Amino acid sequence: MTANSILLLKTLLLSTSQRNIYRHTTDKKKRTKIIWGYIGQACIYAMLVGYAIAMCVGYGKLGMIDAAPVLCALIISALAFIFTLFQTNGYLFNFKEYDMLMSLPFESKTVAGCKFLYMYIKSLPWYISISLAMMIGYGIFAHPSVIVYPLWMVLSLFIPVIPMLISSFIGFLIARISAGFRKTNIVQTVLTMIFVIFCFSLRFIIEDMFRNDKVEATLESISEITENAGRIYLPAGWFANAVRKPDLLSALLLIGVSVLLFAAVFTVVGKSYRNINSALKSHAAARNFKMSTQKQRSVEEAIAFKEFKRLTGSTTYMVNGGMGVILAALLGIITLIFGFDKIVMTVTQNAPFDPAVLRPAIPLILYFFIGMMATTACSPSLEGKNYWILQSLPIEMKTVYRGKMLFNMLLTVPFMTFSTLCMCISAHVPLADSVLYLIMGFALCAFSTAWGCVCGIRHMRLDWENEVEVIKQGAAVTVYLLPNLFVTMALIGLTIFLGTRMDHKLLTLILILITAVLAALSYRKAMTLAKREK
Amino acid sequence: MNENTILEIKNYSKSYGEGKKAADNVSLNVMSGDIYGFIGHNGAGKSTTIRAVVGVLDFTEGEILIDGHSVKTEPLECKRVTAYIPDNPDLYENLTGIQYLNFVADVFGISAAEREESIKKYADMFEITAALGDLISSYSHGMKQKVAIISALIHKPKLLVLDEPFVGLDPKASFTLKEIMREMCQQGSAVFFSTHVLDVAEKLCNKVAIIRQGKIIASGTMEELTAGHSLEQTFLEADHDS
Repeated sequence: MTANSILLLKTLLLSTSQRNIYRHTTDKKKRTKIIWGYIGQACIYAMLVGYAIAMCVGYGKLGMIDAAPVLCALIISALAFIFTLFQTNGYLFNFKEYDMLMSLPFESKTVAGCKFLYMYIKSLPWYISISLAMMIGYGIFAHPSVIVYPLWMVLSLFIPVIPMLISSFIGFLIARISAGFRKTNIVQTVLTMIFVIFCFSLRFIIEDMFRNDKVEATLESISEITENAGRIYLPAGWFANAVRKPDLLSALLLIGVSVLLFAAVFTVVGKSYRNINSALKSHAAARNFKMSTQKQRSVEEAIAFKEFKRLTGSTTYMVNGGMGVILAALLGIITLIFGFDKIVMTVTQNAPFDPAVLRPAIPLILYFFIGMMATTACSPSLEGKNYWILQSLPIEMKTVYRGKMLFNMLLTVPFMTFSTLCMCISAHVPLADSVLYLIMGFALCAFSTAWGCVCGIRHMRLDWENEVEVIKQGAAVTVYLLPNLFVTMALIGLTIFLGTRMDHKLLTLILILITAVLAALSYRKAMTLAKREK
Repeated sequence: MNENTILEIKNYSKSYGEGKKAADNVSLNVMSGDIYGFIGHNGAGKSTTIRAVVGVLDFTEGEILIDGHSVKTEPLECKRVTAYIPDNPDLYENLTGIQYLNFVADVFGISAAEREESIKKYADMFEITAALGDLISSYSHGMKQKVAIISALIHKPKLLVLDEPFVGLDPKASFTLKEIMREMCQQGSAVFFSTHVLDVAEKLCNKVAIIRQGKIIASGTMEELTAGHSLEQTFLEADHDS
C-alpha cells in the first residue's frame, strides 16, 4: 500500500467516525445520540456473540464441534458476500464525493481499493464478533493447542476478504453492464436483485446436491453439508484446516490468496472505474419535453410520488427497499407453481409434520419478507440536505409523514395481497380463512409502515456522507428491523403452535386485532413525533 | 503546442447515452497568465467540459492536455498541477475544516511549514480561520466554498479550474477570490472558470469562450470578442446569431 492509499483510507475512516464528530461538535443532543448509538451497537454485538457461542455450545453438546471452524468461516463468508453486494453500489460506485476525490492526484485503482478497504474495516467488527465467539465455543469443547487461538484471531481478519472481493467484483460487473444502458439505475437494480435471488436459491440447490439419502437425520445432514461446503468453498476449508490441525500452510494459503485476489480485482476495477462512474453519475438529457396535460395530486399523493421517484432513483435504495416484496411475490409464485406442501417439505428438509399446520402463519411468513424493510424507516433520514424543502412547505409535517406512509402502503399491500392469494390457493385454504389472511396481511403492512415511521422520525439522521449509511446501517433501520425480525419469527412459531390447538379463524381474528391496535398506536406515535418536528 | 499553453482542449466531444451531445467538438487554449471565462446558458455544456478537464468525467472523443500531459493517458501528472473547485463542493462533512485541508495538503505532499503558511494566509483572507476547528457539517454553503478554495490553493496549482465560483460567496469573499485569481496569473499560473455573471467575466477575464448547446460559438480575447461593446451585448448577439 502506498502512502497515498493509507492517507486516503485514514481520511475516509475519519470522515465517518462518530468519535471525530463527538470530539468536535458542540451540540449536546448530537453527543448524547452518539453515546446511545455506541450503547445500541454494543448490545447488538453482545447479542451476536451470545448467538454464536450458543450455536457452538449446541454443536459441542451434539459432538459435532469439529464442524465449528468450517461453520464459522461459512457464516462469515456468506454474511460478507451478501452485505457487500448490497453495499457495493454506494460505497465503491456512485458516491457523493467522487468529483472531489477523482480531481485529486489519486490513481483510480487507489480510490477503488481504499473504498473497498473502508467497507471492509467498517464491517470487520461484526465478523470478528462472530469469529471470536465461535473460537471461545470451539476452545471450550475441542480443547485445542494454545497456538490455535492466535492463529484463529489472525485468520479471522482474512475470512471476509475473499467473499467481499468476489461480491465487489460481481457488483463491478453489474455496474459495468448497467453503464451501457440509458436507465442505468433500473438495470443495475434488476441485475442485483436477480443475482441476490439466485444466491438465496443456491442454498437449496447445494443442499440437494449433497443429500443422497433424503431421509437422513437432519443433524447429520447439517454436519455433512457444512463439511462438504468447506470442500467446495476452499477458503472455508483452508481456515478449518489451519485451526484444526493446526496447519500453517493452509493459513498462508488463505492469507496469500486474499492479498493476491485484492491486487488482481482492483487492477481490473481500476481500469474501468472512471468510465463506470461517469456513466452512473451522468444523466442522459433528451431535451425534447413538450408541455402536455398535467395532473393534480393531493398533498399526500404528491409526497408518495416523490418517495417513489426517490426509491427508483437509487440502486441501493431500490435493492434494499424492494428486495422483501420481490422475495414475497416470488415465494407466492413458486408456491403456486410447485405446490404449498412441496415447498414446505423442501424448506424444512422433509421434517415429519403436516404442512397444513403452517396455514395460519401464511401472512406472518410473507410479512417476514415484506416487513424486512419499511421505506418509512429510512426515508426521513434520506431527505438529508433536502430536508429544508419539506420544512419550508406550507403543510404540516404530519401530512408529509402521511405521504411517506401512503407510499409504503402502496408498495407493500399489493405484493402482500398477491402473495397471500397465491399461497392460499396453493395451500387450499378455505375462502373465509383466506379473506381473514388478506385482512391480516393488510394490518401487518399498516403496522410495518407506522412502526417504521416512528423509528424513522425518532432516529432521523440528516448529516450522512453516503446513503448506504442510512439505508443499511442507520439506527432507524436497525431499531426497526431487528426486533421486527425476531418478533415475527417468534410469532410464526407461536401461531403454528396455537393453530394446532384452536380454531384458525379465531386465532387469525385475535392476531388481526392485536396487529391493528399496534398499528394504530404506532400511527398515533408517529403523528405525535411529526408534530414536534417543525 | 506553445510552451506557454497550460490547458489545450482539442475537438473534445461528450454525449450521454442516446441523448444530444453535451459537448460537441470543443477546442480552446488557455495560456500561462490567462484568466479564461467560460460562459453559456444553463445546460450549455460548461460543467461537462470542466469535469472532463479535471479528469472526473470520462470521454472518448478529442484530447485534453494540461501542461503538455494528456488527461486520458497521464491523469496523475495533470492532477498534480491542477486544482478544481466545483459549483457545489461536496466535502467530508464530518471532518473539521482543518482536518480536510490537512488531508488535501498531505495528498499533494506539502510540508507542514508550507501548509501552515498557506492555510493561515488564505483562511485569514477569507476570514474563516476561527471556524477551521469546527465540523464542515456546521458550515454554511459559502464557508464550504471558502474551504474548497483554500484546499485548491494549497499546492500552488498551475491551472485553477472553477465551476461557478462566485455563487454563494459574500461580496468580500468574491473580491478576495478575484484578487487571488489575478495574483496567480501574475505568477504564471492560469485560471479557467465558468460563470453566469457576465459583469464579473468582463472585468476579470482577458479571454472568453461562449458555449451554446455544447458548441463553442465564439472565443478569443475580450477585446477581439466585444469590439467595444459590452460582454452582455456580445453574448446575446452571439447567442441569437447561432
